[in-house]
Amino acid sequence: MPEGHLRYTSVSLLSPNGIRMATLHSHHPPEDCLNCEHRHLRMFCNLTPEALADYDQIGIMMSHARGAKLFTEGDPARNVFVICFGQVKISSTSRDGKTMILKIAGPGDVMGLSAVLANVPHEVTAEAIEPCQVKTVRKQEFIEFLGRHGIASMHAAQSLSGEYLTVFHDAKRLALSGSAAGRLARLLLDWGRTSANTKPEIRFTMALTHEEIANMAGTSRETVTRLLNQFRRDQWITIKGTSLTILKPDLLERLTA
Amino acid sequence: MVSIQPDTRLERLAAAAAHPLAELLDCPQDAGRLLSGETKCVDFEPGATVFRQQGPCKGLYVVVSGDFVRKAERFDMRVTLGSARPGDLVELAAALGDGHHTYTLNAVTYGSLLLMPIEALHRSFETYPPLRMRLLEELAREVSRAYITCCLTRVTPARRHSNAAASA
Repeated sequence: MPEGHLRYTSVSLLSPNGIRMATLHSHHPPEDCLNCEHRHLRMFCNLTPEALADYDQIGIMMSHARGAKLFTEGDPARNVFVICFGQVKISSTSRDGKTMILKIAGPGDVMGLSAVLANVPHEVTAEAIEPCQVKTVRKQEFIEFLGRHGIASMHAAQSLSGEYLTVFHDAKRLALSGSAAGRLARLLLDWGRTSANTKPEIRFTMALTHEEIANMAGTSRETVTRLLNQFRRDQWITIKGTSLTILKPDLLERLTA
Repeated sequence: MVSIQPDTRLERLAAAAAHPLAELLDCPQDAGRLLSGETKCVDFEPGATVFRQQGPCKGLYVVVSGDFVRKAERFDMRVTLGSARPGDLVELAAALGDGHHTYTLNAVTYGSLLLMPIEALHRSFETYPPLRMRLLEELAREVSRAYITCCLTRVTPARRHSNAAASA
């Protein structure tokens, strides 16, 4: 391992009040990048063997508990984060203290990249909504890695262009859909279609609380609960535990018009 | 919870401002000659489509004159991303990334664009790798501006108490 790289072996990070925020594992730890069976499915990590070997040598794996903050809006951007598994809520806070959830990042997503490359503070806050494992790479190390491998910088560009479109789609979802029902329907359809890909059944795991869904749909927690119950009673959706299936996408679609 | 004030966001927006084109495309003579030798100027009439979302990217565009509008669509949704004006670099994401356009660009007025073909751009990257990183950093600034602008202009929708779902 080159000089200056991080070499932790299972160290717990504590917040000032003593709450465990994250556990750092050794660099090759139960699962490393070279032996990751999911990487060919993930946009950023699907690298050439040479680039992958280099990628495996940088950064550290960190496990985060639900609720742990990976970075906060306005903080200096010191690291790039690549999600290995789990989901992370990306949000922004308005001046009156309200939270707007911009997206839910999942496995393979790269976080903090725009702030690191643009050399500006983090534009958003990232918080784990379920236990997750994240590869964390120091800013300079990541920039040098991109400089060494053309394919990695291509993947970084794709990741940035994806982020760019997500921001505008979220703004449109909030601004243009007139009713709370329409905005919630749009959200469910977006999640369902992204998750279903080409499969006929539109089903996804809903890791967010009703309060968090309300923050994404620009409405109240009570309204989300009422509308989900309404959709369920009308048999437009079914909910089993955290699994939500859309049965009548065309009817939900009509609400978004 | 500490909220982020608009003034702070405006300062951050300024920090993520686009860098001058001359600075972004500045490269040694041989790489510069390769780029300028291959660059073409293309004219467009109002309403003409320069390229379409998901279409193959021919290269990196620079707006010379006129106004252009960027639009994106996803599922059945369409969104206007903003305009492109003289001096703007267009479609960095596609030129640097997978070679497919991330949005559609239409001419609003008569205008012209410089097109640096993708092959020449990639040869320039090989001759002078810092050029790719400089452009990637510019793309990151564009994303950063989009985040901050989105938060600054956030529309807080009115809460409605009607039974919209039931009546649909």
